[in-house]
This record gives sequence, C-alpha cells and structure tokens, in this order.
Amino acid sequence: MRKILHIAEREFLATAGTKAFIFAVLVAPAVLGLLILVMPRMWRDGPPRVEGEIAILDPTGQVATGVQSFLQPDRIAERRQDAYRKMQEAMPPALRAAAGGEDTSKEGIERAFESALGEVPRLSIRALDSGSDVEAAKHPLKEATAKKPGAPGRLALVVVHADAVERKPGADRFGSYDLFVRSKLDDRLTDEIGDGIRDAIIGARIRRSGLDRGQVEALTNVDRVASRTVTTAGEGRTNELLNLLIPAALLGLLLMSVLMSGQYLLTTTVEEKSNRVVEVLLSAVSPMELMVGKILGQFAVGLLVLALYLGLGVIALLSFASLGLLDPTLIAFLLLFYLLAYLSVGALMAAIGSAVNEMREAQGLMTPVMMIIMIPWILWMPISRDPNSPLATVLSFVPPVSNFVIMLRLASSTPPPLWQTLLAIVAGAAGVYASLWFAAKVFRIGLLMYGKPPSFATLIRWARTG
Amino acid sequence: MSDAIVLRGLTKTFGDTVAVRELDLVVPQGALYGVIGPNGAGKTTAIRMILSILMPDRGEISVLGHRSAMEAKDRIGYLPEERGLYKRMRVGQFLDYMARLKGDEGPDLRARIRAWLERVDLAEVEMKRCEELSKGMQQKVQFLAAIIHRPDLLILDEPFSGLDPVNQRLVRELVHGEHQRGATVLFSTHVMVHAEQLCDHVVMIHRGVKVLDDTIGSIRTRFDPRSVLFEPLDPAADVDALAGIPGVQHVRKDGPVWDISLTPTADRASVIQMIAAAIPPARVELRRPSLEDVFINIVSEAAAEGDHATLRAAVREDAGGPREARA
Repeated sequence: MRKILHIAEREFLATAGTKAFIFAVLVAPAVLGLLILVMPRMWRDGPPRVEGEIAILDPTGQVATGVQSFLQPDRIAERRQDAYRKMQEAMPPALRAAAGGEDTSKEGIERAFESALGEVPRLSIRALDSGSDVEAAKHPLKEATAKKPGAPGRLALVVVHADAVERKPGADRFGSYDLFVRSKLDDRLTDEIGDGIRDAIIGARIRRSGLDRGQVEALTNVDRVASRTVTTAGEGRTNELLNLLIPAALLGLLLMSVLMSGQYLLTTTVEEKSNRVVEVLLSAVSPMELMVGKILGQFAVGLLVLALYLGLGVIALLSFASLGLLDPTLIAFLLLFYLLAYLSVGALMAAIGSAVNEMREAQGLMTPVMMIIMIPWILWMPISRDPNSPLATVLSFVPPVSNFVIMLRLASSTPPPLWQTLLAIVAGAAGVYASLWFAAKVFRIGLLMYGKPPSFATLIRWARTG
Repeated sequence: MSDAIVLRGLTKTFGDTVAVRELDLVVPQGALYGVIGPNGAGKTTAIRMILSILMPDRGEISVLGHRSAMEAKDRIGYLPEERGLYKRMRVGQFLDYMARLKGDEGPDLRARIRAWLERVDLAEVEMKRCEELSKGMQQKVQFLAAIIHRPDLLILDEPFSGLDPVNQRLVRELVHGEHQRGATVLFSTHVMVHAEQLCDHVVMIHRGVKVLDDTIGSIRTRFDPRSVLFEPLDPAADVDALAGIPGVQHVRKDGPVWDISLTPTADRASVIQMIAAAIPPARVELRRPSLEDVFINIVSEAAAEGDHATLRAAVREDAGGPREARA
C-alpha cells in the first residue's frame, strides 16, 4: 500500500507540479476572469458617432413627421435611459456593482450607454416628394458606400407603402414599408430606424382611426413580471439563465476534470513505457500496484481541478448572492460521479497508454472512448430541456455515460426519482469494475509489448486471454 | 545456506517462438553467476521470469526462498537491459523514489544516495534532471537505482552495454563490491569476455536452451584445447619441423602465431621445453579456452560450418552496436 501511495504521490507531483499544468489550470481561468473585468473598460471605444440623412418617400404624408420626432437625438437618449433602468432592475445587485457601480444619474447612464452603443446618432430626416423615383433615391446610398463607411451622407431610404396607414378598399391587411440601407450600416442603427418607422406608422394609423394613442397603449400593455421561485427556504426571483447554466457548468466541470486527468494518465503511462522506465518499476511493484498508484495520483489531479473550479464557481455565486441556487447535495453528487466517471474512463486510458509506444499511436485507440464521453455533451440540450425523457432515463443506466447524464439530470429543475439515481450509481460502479478488470489485464500485457501498436480488437483479446 | 534462485523446467513461448525451453538453474546464495549467449538466446526472457515480470508457461521458480519474486521484490535489485529514467525527474529524486519503491525508507537514504553519487563521480548531478545527463552518466544512475536499497539478490541484464572501457571497469568494480557485501549476483551478457572477467560460474543459453552450466575453472579443464601458442623469435624459422616432436599432433599457422596441438596423452611441460629448445621462441604459452571458443565448440554441433563466423561475431563486444542503435 505504501508503494501505491509513493507511485500516486509521484504521479500527482509530476503532473500538477509542471508549468504546463499550472498554466492550464490557473492561468487560463485567471486570464478569462481578467478579461471579464477589463472588457467593460474596453467598451469605451464604442462605435463611432453616426451622422447622416435618412430619406423617406411617404405617399401617405403622415409617417415622415412621426419618424422625425422618434429619431431626434433627445428621444433616442431618453429611450436608452429607460432601457438601462429596466436592465439594472433585472440584474442582481452584486452583478450591477461589478458592471460599473450604481450611477443612476442621467449623465452616468448616458456615459454607460455611450460606452456600450456609441454616441447618440445625429440623424436628419429628409422627406422626398411623393412622386420621386425610387431608383434615383437609392443612388446616394451607393455613393455613400463608396466613401468612408462613417462619413455623413444618405444612410437609409424608407419607402412607405401607399396603404400603410389606410387599408385599400376590400383588403384586410395594412401595407408596410421598404427599408434600403447602405452597406456597413451598424445593425443597431438599422433597428433604431425600423423602430422609428414602426412607431410612426402605428401612430398615424391610430390617429386616422380617430383613437387616442395613449389610451390604446394603456389598454394593450401588460407589464412582464419575473417569476419567483418558491422553496422551503423562502421565495426568490427565478433566475432562468442560471437554472440552465448550473447543470451545464456542473456537466462541463465533470467532463473537463475526467478528460483532463484521463489524458494525463494516458500521457504519463505512454511516457513511462517509451522511456523504458516501466521495467524497473515492474521489478519493484506489480503491474496492478503500478496501475492503481497511477490512477490514484491522477484522481487527485482531477480532484484538484474540480475543487479549484468549483471553488471559483461558489465564489462567483456568492458574489452574485445566488449561492442558494447551488444545492450542496449536488456538490456531493458531483464528487461521487467524478469518482465513478474518472475511474471507468481513467482505467481505459491507462490501458490504452500501456498498449502503445507513443502518443501518436494512442489517438486511434482513444477515439471510441472520446466519442462515448462526448455523448452527454452533445445531448446536453435535449436532456436538460426534458430531463425525464426516455432517452435521458435510459442513458442514465449505461456506464460510463450514465455518470454524466445523471449528473445533468440531478442538477436540472426536475431531478430524477431516487431509485433512478441509486440505479445510476450501481450502473456506474459496475462500469468501474468492468473498466478496471479490462485495464488490469491489458496493462499487464501491454506494458512490456513493443512494436506494432495493437488495435482495439487486440486489446479485447488480451483482456480475454490475459 | 539455501539457494538464491532455483528454476525447474521453465518454459516460455511467444506465439510460435520458444524463447526459453525447459530451463533448470540453481544459483546458490552469495554466488556470482553469468548468463551468456548471443542476442535473442532467451537471457532477458529468463531474467524477466525470475523477476515475475513475465509469467512462465510452465515450470517452477523459487527466488530467495519465495515461490515468486513478487514476494521478495524489495530484496532484489534489477538493472534491465532496456534502461529507463524519468527524464524530467532530478537524479537525487529518482534514486530516492526507486529506493522507496523497494521499501527502503531509512533515515540515512539521502546520505547514502549522496555517497553513492560521489563514489561514481556524479556528486554534482544530484539536482540535475535525468535528461541533462550524458548516456554514460544515465547508465551509472540506473545502476545505482538497482543497488541503492542494498539488495540480497542483484540481477543485471547486459550491465556493460553502451559503456566505455573506463565505465565498464567502474561497473565491474561496483558489481564486485556488491558481491563482496554478500549479495548474490546474476548478470547476463552477450559478450563472453565480460563474463570471463567477472564471474566464477557461467550459464550458457543458446536458442532458449541451456547448453552449459559450470564454474570457470571446471570449464577450462573440460574444454582444454590441449594446444600451445608459439611465436618464433626469428620469423623465418621452420616451425613446421616442430611436428616431429613427440606428443605434438600437428602444427597449424594461425595468423602471426602458430597453434601446436598436443596428443591427449602428451605431458605439456616436457613438450613446451622441447619446443623452446628446438626453435628460440619470442612467445610460447599454453592456450586457455575462451568462453567464446567453448560456446562455438558447444553450438557448432548444431550449426553448419559456415555459421561459425556469425556465431563468433554474435558473442563479441561489437555485436552490441546494432542492438544499441535499435534500442
């Protein structure tokens, strides 16, 4: 047992003590975190100010004025402020603080928006004669494209249909409008123009029908509310995004740690074999001791990765005051299924590593293992949408996929019944047993085999005869 | 005193190839045994079976009184033919790790490692990574890894391959040192000269079969070629005339010297006196049987005449060249 621990210790240190590992595990997320913090500052270089003309061909004569007032810089700024306030209200307080403080003054909002969307565009509206030629009116759009994209000039041409405000006799639908824009026009501005025309046409139609717009709007508006999740701990705002993200994050974490430590196990085994150090080791320990020691060592590596990222996740949830979303039993399940998934996948990786002479040869043998592991990732969406579908239920009992699928289901909003979880654990354990049995046989034979790399069929033959 | 290694009817096949056939071997405790034979004779397979790295198809093994080397691994030191080190590990760390895997965790381990490194002129590499060492240095470190835990049984597979003459001598001294300490030593080599220089008992394997198992002294007697090497002081002398001396069977030129074979009953002392009296010699001596000759002698019964040169080449030092390149 002491020897197994020595092997595990060396395996752990030889993996987790390398610069490459520290870089992969620590530096990559640190860079990501830094980017998240720095990105908002970089948004200050928002899109350049847009200046230019929007031409409107309005045979009804009732739309152009509406568009003009909608697109006045003051009103654009006003709408932005409204939107910003709504967004702020929807955000958890901690996120709000992280996103740049709670500066709700008019200037603060303007600054925030200008940094994100660019300065409020200065648009002039030009109503064309109702008899103007559409093709000729498009011409300035082409000219403007030829010039610098940001240069003033005609940005868009709006052609309002003649029946946009008043239906043609006998027709049951109103007409609409056509929008022509020059190339490389910011899509946010296109949306803004579209909104303006829509607003102006609706206004004109309501006026035409002799109704009061304020009243119509009041009648047709019902505020959207955020749902509130009721738990034994009390009521809280439902966070749909996090509800979807947490299962995905747990699955990703599980997959990542299993793959990472499995990959390391493969690499170190191949290394020991190609270094020819394996024979010296075998004179000191049995192949089984060597394999168990290595698996244990990499288990610790995966656990470290898991703990590190889980810790970061918990800190992130804490700072958003949403830790309640993460059920502590989920963490216990995560560790349990990491153990089961890692042991079954890791043992296979060790077996493959023992059978080949160099990493290149391992690729072919690894493909089937990788494909199996990728199944839950590919099926993430369907399973998390419907965690109790027959597909999800069946996959929960097929190791080693079962470990990932049941984890995803446990983290979902409708966890599986207890008996399914227990059965999945039993299936996972059976998978571990089968994997270790297979690996032990292949490992013993493979370690001293040099020459032509074996196929998967050969490995199975070794396992049967070994 | 019980025997360190006992093998009975050991057989191992790989596919259609019989690597080792019905091998019987007894190595008494404290002995220094050499296993010799050309490459591919089955030496490494036999050694791996002794160490329980490979399992025999048939036969019994007893190592240090145990049914399997598994049970006595900590008391065995092993230097495999395929040398291996952890490239990224530091030399001191590597030796420490190997000793611990052998159950040696004594408080003086670090000090012993340092002392051994000094002994083999590697004191300054303790903190270096193994990959930074020259091949010869790596070989010495590997040798230390095999003996650092003071094994009772030391098994060395081709310990001299890839070493320059200076380091060959060093390893020879180290092996002697371990033997003096009381360890039983079994080593294999395809270079017969190395066995002659080092051991007191040889086991010869050819194509998986043991063809000789005897002490060096007994082999010399058994395979005494009963011939005298003679070189005249005057190169122009008529050496063929020596054929007339009683007890001389025939005279044959063998390169710069002459090989004078004696009749089975001749008294060597008087024949040598008569030879020296007939033609003044630059050199006259009794020919000693080399292991190479013995080997050729034994296997030539099975081998066609034309194979002799090939066999000789296979048991000389330069035969190591292509094998090394392959490894």
